[in-house]
Order: sequence, then structure tokens, then C-alpha cells
Amino acid sequence: MNPRDRETLIEETTSAWRPQRPDGALGPHPSFADLDEDGRREAFARTRALRALEAALDAQGLSTTSRAVLRRIRGARSE
Amino acid sequence: MSDLDHHLAAIAAGDADAFAHWLAGAEPQVRASLARFAGVVDTESVVQESLLTAWQVAPRITPDGHPNGLLRFCLRAARNRAISELRKQGRQAPSPDADAPVEMAPPDPLLRRAIAFCIEHLRGKPAAVLRARLADPAGGADVDLAGSLGMSRNTFAQNLNRARKQLTTCLTRRGVHLEASP
Repeated sequence: MNPRDRETLIEETTSAWRPQRPDGALGPHPSFADLDEDGRREAFARTRALRALEAALDAQGLSTTSRAVLRRIRGARSE
Repeated sequence: MSDLDHHLAAIAAGDADAFAHWLAGAEPQVRASLARFAGVVDTESVVQESLLTAWQVAPRITPDGHPNGLLRFCLRAARNRAISELRKQGRQAPSPDADAPVEMAPPDPLLRRAIAFCIEHLRGKPAAVLRARLADPAGGADVDLAGSLGMSRNTFAQNLNRARKQLTTCLTRRGVHLEASP
């Protein structure tokens, strides 16, 4: 894998978006499977830093991960 | 660290706003607790599923006289879920002493101002990409956000990488260190 493709996979993995499985639970990001273990650890480190940044910017101190969880809770209620 | 269980009664009663307050304190702890699994398990989905489980189980959590009962439950749920994912791959759980230190940063107006300043000073595509990620109300996949900006997947990721590096440089100049070690 060339460095550019690896960077793309790492950056994509830092997103809070995850695909939903048929049972409703979230599965791994498709890019995660294509990374080696070092790339996955790098994605984890970048994600931690990004979530801290997101939370610091948010008026309620919520990251995109927490917002995604709240969307599921509120979405389930409105169904 | 404060006791996040002061939100527990309201959460158990179905108050999603109280759960949002709990999430702000709990999520970094849950994520940090999964550091030792990061090379094998996609911890983001484990974090989200475990936090959702905490919401569902909160009405059944009984205070045991120790702080953060709901968080302790969530940390166990996250660890068990990560181990379950490992077992599906036929792997053993890594040693618990490899855990990253748990962090708890209270809301800091100065930090917020520093980050806002640095984001404000981003320019061009890196700025557009980072803002799209931060502002996306639907929490969509990057491939969809890239499409909305007229970019390819690779271009979106490269610009996100540039934005992150520029932000890190800007914040470091202001004495803020957000990069965590892998």
C-alpha cells in the first residue's frame, strides 16, 4: 500500500461514522480492515486527539462520537 | 474526577440531556480504556455501542456507595465487547497493564478559544474539510462529505490530514497539546 492510500484509510477511520449491521449494532469502519496494526493504532491516537478537539469546541462538551450516540437515542424515540 | 453518577437518576428517568452531560465526561474515559485493543479492534464502534448500552442499562444500575457506577459499568461493557471482537478473530485479550492513562479534562474556556482561533485561521480546502466534519449534523461517512464538497475520497482525507497538522502546529504554539501517543 502506498503512503497516500494509507493516510486516506487512517483519516477515514478517525470519523465517528460507522456502518450499521443488520441487527442494528455498529460494525467496524470499512477502512479499518485494510490497515495494519500500526495504522490502526495511529488512527486511534488521531481519533483521541480529534475527539478532544471536537469536545472542546462544542458548547456542551460533546464530541462527534457522543453526538452520534445521542442521535441514535433520539432517533429511536421518534420512530 | 467528579462523580458522573449525579446525572444517574435523571438518565434512568429517560432524560437524554442528562445523558449528554454524562457522555461529555464518560466518553474520553471509555475510549482511553480501549487503547490496548486499538491495533486489532475498531474501538470507535465499541465506544459507541458501549455508551448506548449504558443508556439502556442506566435504570437498572443500583448505587453501590462508590462513585461513577454507570461509568464503571460502561468500562466493563466496553472491555467485554472488545474481547468478544478479539475472540471472533481467534485472538487473546492483551494484558490490562498496557492501558493508556485515563484522562479527564474539565471544560476549559481558554482551550476552546485557542482551538477556535486556530480553526478560524485555517484556509482553503483543509478548512472546508475540517468544518464539514465538525458541523455535519447527520454524522455521515467521509465519502459522503467529500461528495458534498466536490472532492474525491483521497482529496478529502489529504485535506483533513493537512488541517489536523496545521491545527496541531497552531495549538502547540499556544501551549496546547492534543496529540495522543498511539
